[in-house]
Amino acid sequence: MNDLVDKPSVAPTTTAAAVEIRNLSFSYGSSQALKDITLDLTENEVTAFIGPSGCGKSTLLRCINRMNDEIIGTRVTQGEILVKGVNIHHPSVDVVKLRRDVGMVFQKSNPFPSSIFENVAFGLRMRGERNKSVIAQTVEESLKAAALWDEVKDRLHESALGLSGGQQQRLCIARTIAVKPLVVLMDEPCSALDPIATAKVEELIWQLKHHYTFVIVTHNMQQAARVSDRTAFFYMGEMVEFSATKRIFSNPRVRKTEEYITGRFG
Amino acid sequence: MQNSHIFREIDNSMVSLKDNVLLMASLTRLNLERAIHSLLTRDVDLARVVIGDDTEVDELELKIDHLGMDILVRFHPVATDLRLVITSMKMACNLERISDHAVNIAKRAKKIGKSTEMVEASVIEPLYSMAEKLLRDALLAYTDANSDLGESLKSADAGLDKAHKEVIALLSSRLENSDGRAENLLHLIFIARSLERIGDLAVNIGEDSVFLSEARVIRHDRKASGPGGN
Repeated sequence: MNDLVDKPSVAPTTTAAAVEIRNLSFSYGSSQALKDITLDLTENEVTAFIGPSGCGKSTLLRCINRMNDEIIGTRVTQGEILVKGVNIHHPSVDVVKLRRDVGMVFQKSNPFPSSIFENVAFGLRMRGERNKSVIAQTVEESLKAAALWDEVKDRLHESALGLSGGQQQRLCIARTIAVKPLVVLMDEPCSALDPIATAKVEELIWQLKHHYTFVIVTHNMQQAARVSDRTAFFYMGEMVEFSATKRIFSNPRVRKTEEYITGRFG
Repeated sequence: MQNSHIFREIDNSMVSLKDNVLLMASLTRLNLERAIHSLLTRDVDLARVVIGDDTEVDELELKIDHLGMDILVRFHPVATDLRLVITSMKMACNLERISDHAVNIAKRAKKIGKSTEMVEASVIEPLYSMAEKLLRDALLAYTDANSDLGESLKSADAGLDKAHKEVIALLSSRLENSDGRAENLLHLIFIARSLERIGDLAVNIGEDSVFLSEARVIRHDRKASGPGGN
C-alpha cells in the first residue's frame, strides 16, 4: 500500500528514517523561525510536534513538503531535508510530486465543493489516471482505510460539504492517502472536532501508521501522548527535546520540557 | 460488558494490564498453596521452589506498575478506566505482599521440615483454608467488579482473626513445655501470623474492588462515597 506513486519524485532507500532533517534553519524575512533543527522521522511511526504558539512547529511541518515556498520572503538559511534520502531542495525535485509523496491534512477540513467521490479521486486524476475502474477501486480502498466507507458508500456522488466536520476531516485523510504518499503531515487535524470525532481520527492515524509515516502538530498534549510514538518539543524556534513519547511525558530530560508539559509556562 | 473505546489502543492496554494482574494473582495463589503444602507434607524442595518463584511475582508487580503508568501517561483515563488503573496498581502491591508472606511461610516450612515432625502444624490448615477463601473471593470481586462480594470480606476476615487468636493461644500454651521444640512452635506462630495478614491484604483488595465497581470508598470504615460521589 505504501508504494511510491507511479513516477516518484523521490527514490526509496533502505533507511528507517522516512524524513531526515539536518541542521535546518529557516527565516521569515529577517525573523529566524527555526534554528539548527536536526531530527529523523522514523518510517511507520507517528511523530508529534508540540510547543507554544510561535515556537516553529508548524513552520517545520510545512518545510517538509515545501509549503513555505508559497510564502514570499521565506527561505531555508541553512541545512537540508531528505525525504527517503533525496534532498527536497534539489533543483531536480518536482514540488508537485513532492507534495504527493508528502501529503498534508490541515487544521480545518477543506473538502472541495464537489462530490465525495470526486474529492478522493482528485489526486488520482491530477496524476493522470484515466482508468475509471482503477479510480473507483482506489476511491473505495481509500474511504475504507479512512474508516468512512460505511458512512458514505450510499451517497458517494453527493456533495462532500454535506458531511459532518469529523467526516470531512476523514475525507481529507482519504483524499491524502488515495495517492499513496510516503508521509502524511497533519497540522492540528482535530482542533475543530468534538471528542468522538477526534477519537475516530486518532484511531485512524493509529491504524494507518502501519502503512504511512505521520507527523502531527498539535497543541493538545494529551493527543500527542495518545497517538504518537515520538514527540519533539519546540520553543522559540529551537527543538528543546526529541524523544520517545512515553519518555517525554513521564520523565523529560530537559527542564523546559517538564515546565511546558506540566503547564508551568507557555 | 462495556463497549469498546473508539481508540482501540486504549482497550489493548487495559486488557494487557488486567491480564497481568490476573496472572500475578494466580501465581500468588499458587505460591501460597505450595508454601502450605510444603509445611504440611514436610516437602523442603517444594519450599525452595516457592522461594525461587517469588521473583516472578516481583517482576509482574514492576510490569503492572509500568503498564499502569503508561496508561496514565498516554491515555489520561477517567471514570471506570481511571479506577481500573488505580485499583490494578494497588492490587499488584497487595499481591506482592501476599507472595512475600508465602515466601516467609516457605522459609519457615523449610526449617520445620528439616527437624522433627510437628503435630501442631495441622492447626495451620484451617487458617490457610480461611485465608485462601478470602483471597479467592477478593480476586473474584476484582475480576467481576462485584462490590457486594468485595464488601463482604471484612466480616469474613473477622472469622480468620478469631481463629488466628485461638491458634496463637494454643501454640503459646505449648511453648511452656516445648521440650526443645520452641523454635518450631515459634515458626508456626509466625506462619499463623502471615496467614492472618494475608486475610487483611485480601480485605484490602476487596475494598479496592468496591471502589473499582462503584467509586465508593469503604476503607477505614468510611461510609461516604468516593471522590465526586454523593
